[in-house]
Amino acid sequence: MTAVPQGGTLERRYRALLRAYPRAYRTAHGDELLDVLLESADPGRTVPVPREAWGLLAGGVRSRIVHLATGNPWKDGLHLGVTALAAAQVAALLPYAGALPLWTAASALALVAVLRGWMWAAIPLTLVVGMKAVAIAGGQQIFDLTMLPVYPSHLGDRALFADSDPYVVAGGYAVALAGLGVLAARGRPLRVRSWWWCAAVVAAAWSGPQWMAEESTFPLSLSRMAVEAAAFVLATAGGYLARDYRWALGAGIYLAVASGDLAAHSAELTRQHLAYWAVLAVLALGAAGAPFRQRRHCLH
Amino acid sequence: MYFVLTALRAGPLHGHAISKSIKELSAGRVQPSVGTLYGILERLNERGVIIVDREETVNGRNRRYFRITDEGQALVEAEARRMQEAASLVLRPSST
Repeated sequence: MTAVPQGGTLERRYRALLRAYPRAYRTAHGDELLDVLLESADPGRTVPVPREAWGLLAGGVRSRIVHLATGNPWKDGLHLGVTALAAAQVAALLPYAGALPLWTAASALALVAVLRGWMWAAIPLTLVVGMKAVAIAGGQQIFDLTMLPVYPSHLGDRALFADSDPYVVAGGYAVALAGLGVLAARGRPLRVRSWWWCAAVVAAAWSGPQWMAEESTFPLSLSRMAVEAAAFVLATAGGYLARDYRWALGAGIYLAVASGDLAAHSAELTRQHLAYWAVLAVLALGAAGAPFRQRRHCLH
Repeated sequence: MYFVLTALRAGPLHGHAISKSIKELSAGRVQPSVGTLYGILERLNERGVIIVDREETVNGRNRRYFRITDEGQALVEAEARRMQEAASLVLRPSST
């Protein structure tokens, strides 16, 4: 047997690549993979073979997705959908943090509670932020005096909920609250979700590069669309690789709320709006259909 | 997957030995990366086509030896027969 050098540059670099795998898998089998990688390596080599590096990255991502498909898919899918809605609700308020610091912070706290699986903390936070948001969208005052319209201090260029129907805003928060209620009633611990959701919030909050006509009364942010499309692509990939419908359920919940917003502006929709909706709908359908794809022969 | 199961017909092997055996059996045409090989091993293991025979510690690192199951043996033999029948359609002597 070849003597395996310990602690060398190549080992350190392969260990870095092995971080693509979930921690549990790395702990159980990381050293075993490393052993094979080092035994296969040419003597004196210090840089990972590109084919091996790609294999580790692809294998790690696949393993992560498969590891995520554990536990009750209905509950986890509902949690995903609620998380996406909570992230979108923070993203909607974030550009107005200068004018509404308390409400933006409360919304961010609600997202953190959802990410950590603390449903009983998320419910009251989402409820009060939702009531305030609906009041602002409807031009009403509730809890505290707010100068209307609320203009952004950064990331955006339009007044808060200038293009939103209060019923649609209320609908989004109602769906989130209903989901939180169901999850809280089930009582069992929920999966702790990634902090990457917070990065998605910042990207979705930015009004992004101009891509719609300036006279559009219902502009959609390019950066928000990119985040949504990327999340839906991941949902489809997850459903395909793990043959699991939890991601389709989460995407479906989010799409239902986003569709409500578009339906409220049905008279003002352009081809760009329809293309946006179509992309999300096709990806959501892909995520829903992928788990039921025909299983290939075991050896293929 | 076919070559992995074929390699394991000879007896329980660990990852590096499976990789070397695949290379030999395929005359160097098939050389899965370690990430790909272990992805295949995990999937075959989940489907009950192979199982972990034993674990050993070498150089302070854990090493799993995989073994083909009866189901895996039947699968790979059926696949070999299917390929043989398909090949015979092309390679059998012409009747003219």
